[in-house]
Amino acid sequence: MSENANGSGRTRRHFLADTGKVALGAAALTAGGPFILSARGETPLKLGMVFAKQGTWTEQGEMLVNGARIALAQAKGQVLGRPVDLVWYDEPSPQAAQQNFQKLVEEEKVSAILGGTNSGTSLAMAAIAKRLRMPYITPNAAAREITGKECNPFTFRVLTTTPVASRALAPYLATVGKKWYFICASYAYGQDVYAQMKAQLDQFGGKEAGVDMTPLGTTDFSSFLLKIRQAKPDVIVAGLPGGDLSAFLKQFADMGMKGKIPVACPIIGDSDLWSIGPAAATGIYGKPWHFSDPNNTKEDRAFTADYAKAHGKPPSDKAWLGWFSMRTLLLGMEQAKALDGASIVRGLEGISIDEGGIPAHYRPWDHQMLRKMLVLKVKDTITDKWDWMDVLKTAPERPEDLETQFGSREEIGCQMESL
Amino acid sequence: MLDILLPQIANGLVLGFLYVLIAVGLSIIFGLLGVVNFAHGAFFALGAYFALSLYQWFGWPAVILAPFIVGGLGMAVEVLLIRRLYGKEPLIGLILTFALSLLIEALVRLVWGAGGHPFSPPPFLAGIVEYGPILITKYRLAVLVVTMALLAGLWLFLNHTPFGRILRAGSRDAEMVGMLGINLPRVLTGVFGLGCFLAGCAGVLAAPLWTITPSMAAGAIMPAFVIVTIGGLGSYLGAIVAGLLVGIVTALTIQFMPEASAAAMYVLMAVILLVRPRGLFGERWERFE
Repeated sequence: MSENANGSGRTRRHFLADTGKVALGAAALTAGGPFILSARGETPLKLGMVFAKQGTWTEQGEMLVNGARIALAQAKGQVLGRPVDLVWYDEPSPQAAQQNFQKLVEEEKVSAILGGTNSGTSLAMAAIAKRLRMPYITPNAAAREITGKECNPFTFRVLTTTPVASRALAPYLATVGKKWYFICASYAYGQDVYAQMKAQLDQFGGKEAGVDMTPLGTTDFSSFLLKIRQAKPDVIVAGLPGGDLSAFLKQFADMGMKGKIPVACPIIGDSDLWSIGPAAATGIYGKPWHFSDPNNTKEDRAFTADYAKAHGKPPSDKAWLGWFSMRTLLLGMEQAKALDGASIVRGLEGISIDEGGIPAHYRPWDHQMLRKMLVLKVKDTITDKWDWMDVLKTAPERPEDLETQFGSREEIGCQMESL
Repeated sequence: MLDILLPQIANGLVLGFLYVLIAVGLSIIFGLLGVVNFAHGAFFALGAYFALSLYQWFGWPAVILAPFIVGGLGMAVEVLLIRRLYGKEPLIGLILTFALSLLIEALVRLVWGAGGHPFSPPPFLAGIVEYGPILITKYRLAVLVVTMALLAGLWLFLNHTPFGRILRAGSRDAEMVGMLGINLPRVLTGVFGLGCFLAGCAGVLAAPLWTITPSMAAGAIMPAFVIVTIGGLGSYLGAIVAGLLVGIVTALTIQFMPEASAAAMYVLMAVILLVRPRGLFGERWERFE
C-alpha cells in the first residue's frame, strides 16, 4: 500500500523529470554546449580512496588523504566539468582492503581509486584493480613487484622504489666513508635496502663493517647500538621503516653517538623525524619531495601554502604524495575525456608534469612514476619548528638519466598485458 | 670476548627490569583476581601519554602523578567492568580486556593524535656512563634504580603489611576472608588499581627510552605475557627471575644472531614450559584446577 502512495509520487516526479530533460534538450539544441555541461554538473562523479583509518598506518593514511583533498579543492572540486565526491574507506588488512576496493567499485560506482599506505595492501588491491578493470594509483608503496613482476595495466605507482632511492643516495655516502654498517629490518623493504646498498658499496670498492637484520617492530635498539659502536663504521646504513627508524635514531642520540657516525636511509618520512624531536634528529636521507626545497614549482608552493592554512603545519612527504597522486589522476581524467577504465588508463599514460626541467610522467610499460628524487641532510642546528633538513642534491641531475635511474625493462621485469 | 658480553648483559639487565615491572602488575592481577588483563599494555601506554602531557603542562616533577592517574583509572575500570568477570570463564575476561585495549588505543589516537611524540629524559639524566667495557646511558641506570626500588617496595607491601596479608588470603579463599568481616570487593578494586599503577610506572619510565606512539602497548604486552608464563602465573619471584632472563637472553641473541632476537624469548618460553609446564615458580592453585 505504501508502494502505491510512493508509486504515484514517483510517476509525478518522473513526469517532471522527463519534461525537464526535454526542456533541457531543447535548450541545449538552441544554446549549445555550456547548457549540457551544467546539466551534467548536477550529477557528481565519485572517486574512491582506500587508506588506513586505524592501526599503525593511521597517521600516514590521514596525511595522504589530506593531501589528496587539497588537490581536489585546488581543481575546484571537479573534473571533466562535474563535481567530485571523494569516498574514503579503511584498509585494516590486505584482505579487508580488497573487499573495500571492491565495494567502492560495485556499490559506490567510483571512476578511479587512490589507495594503499603500504606495499602489502597495495599489492592486494592491484590484483583486484586488474580483475575489475578499475584505474588504481598507489601513492606510498615501495615494493618492486607493484610495477615489476605483478604489474598490470590498471595499476600506477607514484613512490620511488628502493633500488632507485639507493642509487640516488649511495654515491654521496661513498664520499663520506667506505666502511658501512647495515642495520635493516628483516622484511621485504629492509632486505631490499641491504641488497641494493651493498651492491652499490661493492661498486665503490667499500667494505662492510657489519650487518644486523632486526625484527620488524623493534622498540629497543640499545643492544644493536652497542655492536655498532664496537664495529666503528664510517657510515650506518639503516633500512628501517618509520617507527623503527624513529626508535633507532632516538636511542642513537641518547647513547651519545649522534654527530660521531653519520646515519643514512634511502627513504624517510617527515613524521619519522618530527616524532623524535630536534635533539635526536640526524642523518642523510632520500625523499621524494621536501616542502622547503628551493627548486619547488609554483604548484608545489601553492600546495604548501594551502596545506599549512588547513592543517597548521607544512605538508609532509606523505601529504605531498597524496596531493601529487590525486593531481595526476585528475589530469589523467581530464585528458581521457571519458570515465571508462581503459580511457582513464590511457589518459594517465599521457600526462606530463613539469617539475623544473625534469618532467614527471608514468612510464607506459610499467606504470611507474618517473621523477626526480632528493637527497637531504638533517641540519646541524635546528631552529625552525618544522624545517629540519637541507636539500643536498637532486637525482638525476640530467633529465636524460631519469630512465636509467629507474631501471631497464629486464631489471624491472614487468610484462604489461594489453588493455 | 668479555668486552663484548659485559655491555650486552648490563644492557639486558636494564631491559629485563623494565619488563619485570610491566609483568609484575599483570601477574598480581592474574594471581589475585584470576583475570588475564589483556589491556595491561594499554595502561602502560596511558602512563607514557599522561607523563607527556603532565610534563608539557607542569614540568618534570608533575610526571610522578601519571602512574597514580593510571591507577585511579584502573580502579574505575574494575568497578565498571572487571568486577563482573570474577569466577567466570577466563576466556570472557580475555575478550573483554582485549576489547578494552583496542578502545583505549583508539581513544589515545583521538586525544593525542596518530603520530609519535618526542620525549627526552630530563636534562640531569642525559648522557652516558662508562665503566670499563660497560656503557650505559644515565637514564637507563636511573630506570634500573627506580624499578628496583619499586619492586622492593611492592614486595614489602605484599608480605609485611596487613593489607598485603588480606590480599594473599583473599586470593586463596575469598569466602573465608569475607566471613572474617573484610570488605573484599573494595580490596579487589585496590588490587586492580595497583596492577594498573605498576603498568603506568613502567609506561612513564619507558617513555623517554622508546618513542611514544599509540601502538606502544603492543611492544610491552607480549614480553609481559611471556615473562608471566615463564615465571609461573601469579608468582612474584617468578616474574622477576623470568624478566631478567628474557632481558639477558634477548640482548645476547642480538649480539650473536640478531634476526632471531624477537623470537628468542618465545623459544625460551617453549623450552621452560616443556620442562616445567607451570613455569619456573608456578604453584598449584586449587581455584584454577
